[in-house]
Amino acid sequence: MKRGDLLLIGLVVIIALAFIIPRWFDRDASEKNHNELRTAKITVDGKLFKEVTLTQEEQTIEVENEHGLNILKVHDYGIEMFDADCPDKVCLSFGFVDRTGGTIICLPHKLMVEIEGPSEEDGIDATVK
Amino acid sequence: MQRLNEQSNIALKRTVIVAIFAAVAVVLSMVESLIPLNMGVPGAKLGLANIMVLTCLYFLRARDAMMMVLLKTLLTAFIFGTFSSFLFSIMGALFSFVAMWFLLLIGRDKLSFIGISIVGGIAHNIGQLTAACIYFNTTKIFYYLPMLLIMGVLTGIAVGIAVRYLVPSLSKMSLFEGFLA
Repeated sequence: MKRGDLLLIGLVVIIALAFIIPRWFDRDASEKNHNELRTAKITVDGKLFKEVTLTQEEQTIEVENEHGLNILKVHDYGIEMFDADCPDKVCLSFGFVDRTGGTIICLPHKLMVEIEGPSEEDGIDATVK
Repeated sequence: MQRLNEQSNIALKRTVIVAIFAAVAVVLSMVESLIPLNMGVPGAKLGLANIMVLTCLYFLRARDAMMMVLLKTLLTAFIFGTFSSFLFSIMGALFSFVAMWFLLLIGRDKLSFIGISIVGGIAHNIGQLTAACIYFNTTKIFYYLPMLLIMGVLTGIAVGIAVRYLVPSLSKMSLFEGFLA
């Protein structure tokens, strides 16, 4: 291992942490006001399939099309891929997502779930004339 | 005549090495898919095939290594991929190949195999995320890049150590005579 390697490793870790650590704080702050519900945007093949509000109550969403079947579950203000019949099952490994910007992707089924923060809707609400 | 023979001999050896390396890389990806590895980052892999790409870059010319990368990606796609997964892996493989080739050209004395394979792994991730961005038409996928960077460092260290052991032992084989840099 040369000095350049250590420099490189340090640099990469610092860049990564610079992105990850602010997210932890962001999460702590947003846990206090759960009255602002986030929404999850489900798109298939680039087209909007459904927008769901992430509630605490459990809801099950089935996405079935010519690519295959995906079952999503909403609970505790977040969403998770519960089951899918895709070959690689990478989408199941995304786990439970509840932060703004979080995504679940199922490549073979061209399905994507994105979590959008409540702030965007606040912005629209503010433009009252 | 003697000279011509030698040249075709070298060309033949190159072809053989490219074929063997591509085959080993495919086997390594198969082995990798058998290892259940879930480190909390979706889609993160060990990148064992990168061992062969880096070793190939070390011994052979860039165009031979490029050939090996294309062969490896095509073969893996035929064995367990779909068309979309092929697009993603070729994008990642090409990004990683270009990054490692460039580093071997300019940074050979500053970086060891570990540093080069880390950059290769990270370039692979960025390539795949870029493919995903184009495919899904969103930039939000880059949300996962920081986690992938950390994983890239860890797997890059592992791959780099493997290459450091592999290159000296391959150098002792007669097949690799004449390719030593």
